[in-house]
Amino acid sequence: MKRIIFSLIAAIACCTFVFGQNSGEVVIKNATVLTAARGTLTETDISIRNGKIARIGKNLPVGAGAKVIDATGKFVTPGIIDAHSHSMLSAINEGSLAVTSMTDVKDMLDPKDIAIKRALAGGVTSALLLHGSANPIGGQSATIKFKYGRPAEDFLIADAPPGIKFALGENVKRSSQVITQPGQSFRYPRTRMGTMEVIRDAFRRARDYKQAWDDFRAKKTKVPPRVDEELQPLVEILEGKRIVHCHGYRSDEHLNIVKIADEFGFTIGTLQHALEAYKIAPEVAKHGAGVSIFVDSWSYKLEAYDNTPYNAYILWKNGVVVSINSDSDERMRRLNLDAAKTMKFGGVPEEEALKMITLNPAKHLGIDKRTGSIEQGKDADIVIWTEHPFSPYSRPDITMIEGEIFFDRAQDILFRQQLAKEREELEKLEMNKAPGSGGTPPARPAERRVEDRDEHELDGIGGNR
Amino acid sequence: MNSKLRAVRFALMKLFYYPLRKDSVPNFTIQVLFMRIKLVLYAFAAIGLLLSVSAFGQSMAITNARIVTVSGVAIEKGTVVIRDGLIEAVGANAKVPADAFTIDGTGLMIYPGFIDSLTNLGLAARPAAAPGQGGPGGGQAAAAAVAQANPSNSNYPAGFRPEYTVSDELRAGETQFDSVRNAGFATVLTTGRERIFTGQSALINLAGENVSDMTVRSPVALHISFGTIPGTYPGSLLGTFSALRQMFNDAKRHDEMLKMYAKDPRGMRRPAADKSLEAIIPAVNRQMTVIFSANNENEIRRALDLAKEYNLNAMIAGGHGATQFISRLKEQNVPVLFSLNFPKRTAAVSPDADPESMETLRFRAEVPKIAGKLAAAGVKFAFQSGGAATNNDFLANSVKATENGLSKDAAVRAMTLSSAEIFGVADRLGSVEVGKIANLTLVKGDLFSKDKSISHVFIDGKMFEIKAPPTPPSRPAGGQGTGGGANPSALPIVGGTYSITIQAPGQPLTGTLNLTQQGSELTGTMVTELGTTTIKDGRVTATGISFAGSVNFGGQAIDFTVMATVTGSTLSGTVDSPQGAIPITGTKNP
Repeated sequence: MKRIIFSLIAAIACCTFVFGQNSGEVVIKNATVLTAARGTLTETDISIRNGKIARIGKNLPVGAGAKVIDATGKFVTPGIIDAHSHSMLSAINEGSLAVTSMTDVKDMLDPKDIAIKRALAGGVTSALLLHGSANPIGGQSATIKFKYGRPAEDFLIADAPPGIKFALGENVKRSSQVITQPGQSFRYPRTRMGTMEVIRDAFRRARDYKQAWDDFRAKKTKVPPRVDEELQPLVEILEGKRIVHCHGYRSDEHLNIVKIADEFGFTIGTLQHALEAYKIAPEVAKHGAGVSIFVDSWSYKLEAYDNTPYNAYILWKNGVVVSINSDSDERMRRLNLDAAKTMKFGGVPEEEALKMITLNPAKHLGIDKRTGSIEQGKDADIVIWTEHPFSPYSRPDITMIEGEIFFDRAQDILFRQQLAKEREELEKLEMNKAPGSGGTPPARPAERRVEDRDEHELDGIGGNR
Repeated sequence: MNSKLRAVRFALMKLFYYPLRKDSVPNFTIQVLFMRIKLVLYAFAAIGLLLSVSAFGQSMAITNARIVTVSGVAIEKGTVVIRDGLIEAVGANAKVPADAFTIDGTGLMIYPGFIDSLTNLGLAARPAAAPGQGGPGGGQAAAAAVAQANPSNSNYPAGFRPEYTVSDELRAGETQFDSVRNAGFATVLTTGRERIFTGQSALINLAGENVSDMTVRSPVALHISFGTIPGTYPGSLLGTFSALRQMFNDAKRHDEMLKMYAKDPRGMRRPAADKSLEAIIPAVNRQMTVIFSANNENEIRRALDLAKEYNLNAMIAGGHGATQFISRLKEQNVPVLFSLNFPKRTAAVSPDADPESMETLRFRAEVPKIAGKLAAAGVKFAFQSGGAATNNDFLANSVKATENGLSKDAAVRAMTLSSAEIFGVADRLGSVEVGKIANLTLVKGDLFSKDKSISHVFIDGKMFEIKAPPTPPSRPAGGQGTGGGANPSALPIVGGTYSITIQAPGQPLTGTLNLTQQGSELTGTMVTELGTTTIKDGRVTATGISFAGSVNFGGQAIDFTVMATVTGSTLSGTVDSPQGAIPITGTKNP
C-alpha cells in the first residue's frame, strides 16, 4: 500500500513538471498584456502553439483540446531575463591564472539547484550564467532557460551566441592575493594597469594564433598548430562571433576596455555592473556596447562609490541599451521591482522599464529574435502576474517557458502537501533514520550554500560582484 | 615456480625414461658410467627440488561443497581440485588426486574469489607532515609530499600526470591485506587518490611476497577524478575540465606529430619528449580504458559528456546518481564500478538543525535500488567498496541491493565474473572453471544471510584459513596506515565530538570535529561554516592527533593539515594551509 501511495505521489509530482508539455494549444484569456515591444494591450488573449506565440488579440478562438488559462484581472509579461547570474553552477571562479578563457561554465551546470525554482517563482525564465570576476579574462558563459526538472543539456539555448566574462578592477586585483601558495609570487596583475596589459597581450597572442592557423590552412606551414583552448575563444571574439561581458565599476576602466576593443576591431557586448556608466554614456553609446547594471547598490564597496539610482535613466536617455541584472540568486527573484525603481528615479517610461528586464537583456544575450517580448512568432516565455508586475504586492501565478508551465503557484501549493507526505515516508526508512546520538552532521543543504556564495563574493575571494 | 617444477619433471624424466630407451642404450663404457653417476645426481637434485616445492606441486581438494561456479550452473555437492595455483578440476564427480591435501567442504559454499573493483589498497601512506613543522612551511611540506609521492619530470603539476602508474608504488607483502582477505576478497583493482589523474590502476591478488607475484594485470585503466590542484591551475572544477580538454587535444596532436616525425624528421622541429602526453595517447585512441570517479548526477553527466566528446573507452566508478543516466550508460556502453558504500544518515537529530533536504532523503532511498536497475537495463557493472569504513559494508550492502531488485546471482556476479569481464581478465579469473587462477572464497552458510562466515580464501592456490568469524575488521583507511603504527595501548583515547574554534584572522571559525579512533587510525569529519570535510590521513600519536583535509573556499579547494595535542578533554594545535598556520582549539563534548 505504501508503495502505491508512493508511486502516486511520484506520478503527481511528475505531472506538475510535464504539465502542458504536449505541443498542443494553450490560450491565455482576457489578460492585460505588457508586451515589452508594442505597448500594453487590455482584455487580450494569447494563443500558443508548439511553444511559440501564435496569435495575440481579443476573443481569439479556442481549438478543441486547447488548454485555457483564464487570466481575467491578471497581468502578463514576457519572462524575465537576468543578464548576470551564477545560479546552478558547481564552480564559479578559476582564479589561478589571469586568463582563463579555456574554462566554460557549461561544464558546471547543476540542474537541480533550488535557486532555479525560486527564479521561476519570481518570473525569471532565462539567464546569462557567467564565470566569476577573478581574472581579466574569465571563462566562457552559458545562455540558458530555467527548464527546471529537465536534464542539464535542455537548459542551454542552442542558437544563442557564445559569450565570455571579462573583469576589471578590485576583484581582479584582490584575487591575486588570496590564492597563492607560500613561496609563490602573487598572481599578476596586481594593478588596473596590469589588468589592461594582460588583456591586450592575450589578444595579441590570439591574433598570432589565428595567423598560425590561417598560414597552415593556406598550406604555408607543414605542421598543424596546437588547438589552444585558451586562445580559440579570443579568436572568436576577434571574429565577432563571441560576446564579451565585461565586469567593471569605474568609468575610466570601462573607457579603457572600449579602447582595447576598438584597437582590436571588436565591440564589447555588455559592460556589466558599470555603476559609473552614466559618466560615459555618450562614449558607450558610440561604441555600441550594452550596459547591464544593478539598479542600486551604491557605495557597497569602494569602486561602487559613485553609483546613482539615476544611472539607468541617464544611459537610456543617451540611447544605450540598458538591462538590470541580479548577480544573486536572492535578488533574481525580485527583478520586477528593480525595474520599477527606474521609473521612480528619473522617470523611465513603463514599457522601457519593463524592457530593462526582458527585451534589453535578450539583446545583450543575442536572443532577442526568439524571446524577450510578447510578439507573434517568439518563444512563449510568459509570466502571468496577480497584479501589475511593478507593484510590490504582485507575484507570478504561472511562469511558462516555450508554452510549458514550469511554475504554477496553485499546483505548487498542492505539491507541498504531497512533498510533506513523501518526506514522512522517506524519513521512516532505515537509511534516513538518525542514530541515537553522535555521528556526523549532514552536509549543509544546498539552499544555504547560495548565501555563502554571495558572502564569498563580497569577501573578494575570487569575488563576483 | 613454474621453472622449478619443469626442472623437477625434466630430472625425473632423465632418471626413469632414459635407460628404458633400449635402442639407444650404448655399450657400457666409462662414458656410460659417468652418465649413470650424473643420473644419480639428477635424482638427488630432483628429490631436493620436490621437497622444496611440495606445497606448490601438491594438489588440494575441497570436497562435498556447494560450488557456485558463476560461469555455469551451481554444483550442489562437488569437488574443486587445485594444483599449481590453478583450478585443475571442478565437478560433482571430480576425482581427488592421491597426493591431495583435502578439505571436507560439507556445509561450505565455494565462490570464485571476491573482487573489489576499486580500492586504494597496497599503496604506501602519504608521508604526514613532521611534528613541530608549523608556519607557512606546512602547506609547502604537504605539496612537497604529494610531489614526492608522485615524482616525475613532467611539465604538469603533481596530480595532473597521467603517466603515474600505481604498480610503481605498490608495497610488497601480503600481511597488509589480512583484514580485507579475511572478509573474502582475493583480488582488487587499486589506484591512487590524489587530485585528478589518480593513477593507472593495477589488478592485484591479495597474496604474494612481491609486486610481480601479486599483479594480475597492470596497467588496467587510466583513472580520472574530478579533483583540483590547489594553488595552481586547475585550482577549481572549472579548470579541471578545461585542463583535461586541452590535454586530450594535445595528446591527439602529439600522436600525430610523433608519427609525422617518425616518417620524415627533416624540416620539422622534433616533438617534445612529453611522457605525460605519451601516457594519454592510448586513452584518446581507445586502447586504454578511462575510469572516471563519478558518483553524483552532475559528475556522471560530466564524465559521460567528456567520454562522448573525446570518444573515450570509458567507465564510471561510484554511480550513486546513475538512475537518470541509465539509458545513456547503456547507449554509450559505459560500465559502472558501483560503490557499495551506501549513504545513510549518520548524525543524531539536533533540535536547531534544518530538516534534511528532500534531495538527500530521496538519494539515500534510491541508492540501494540502482544495482537492480543497472542489471535490468543491461548496463555492465561490478561492485566496489567505495572507501567504505568496514569490509562488512560490502557484503551487507550487496544484500541490500538484492532486497531492492537485484537477483542474488547477479550480485555474486558483480563481485566476481562481471568484474573480471570489465577488466579484461575473464579468461583467467572470476569463475570456478578448470584452468583459471585458483582464487576461491569459501563461505559457511548462505552468503546473503546474517550468520554467514568466510572460512577459507584461496589466492593463486595458496590457502588462507580464516580462524574466527571476522568481527568488523576495519579496512585500512584508503589503503594507508597498515604499516606498523604505534602501540595502541600507549595511545590516548581521542574519539568523540569536539566543539572547535579556528582562529582565522578577522573571522574566527567555529564548528565541530567528529573523531572516530581505531587504534592509531583516526577517521571522521570536521564541520565548519565552510562545509563538512572528511578527514584524511588521520593519526593518533602518543600526545595528540594529526589529520589532513580540504575545504572549498570561493570555488578553490584549499588543502590543510591539522596537528594538535590532546590533553584530557581539550585539544589545541595548528591548522596549516597555504594561507598560513592558524591556531585551533577545541573541547570535547560530554
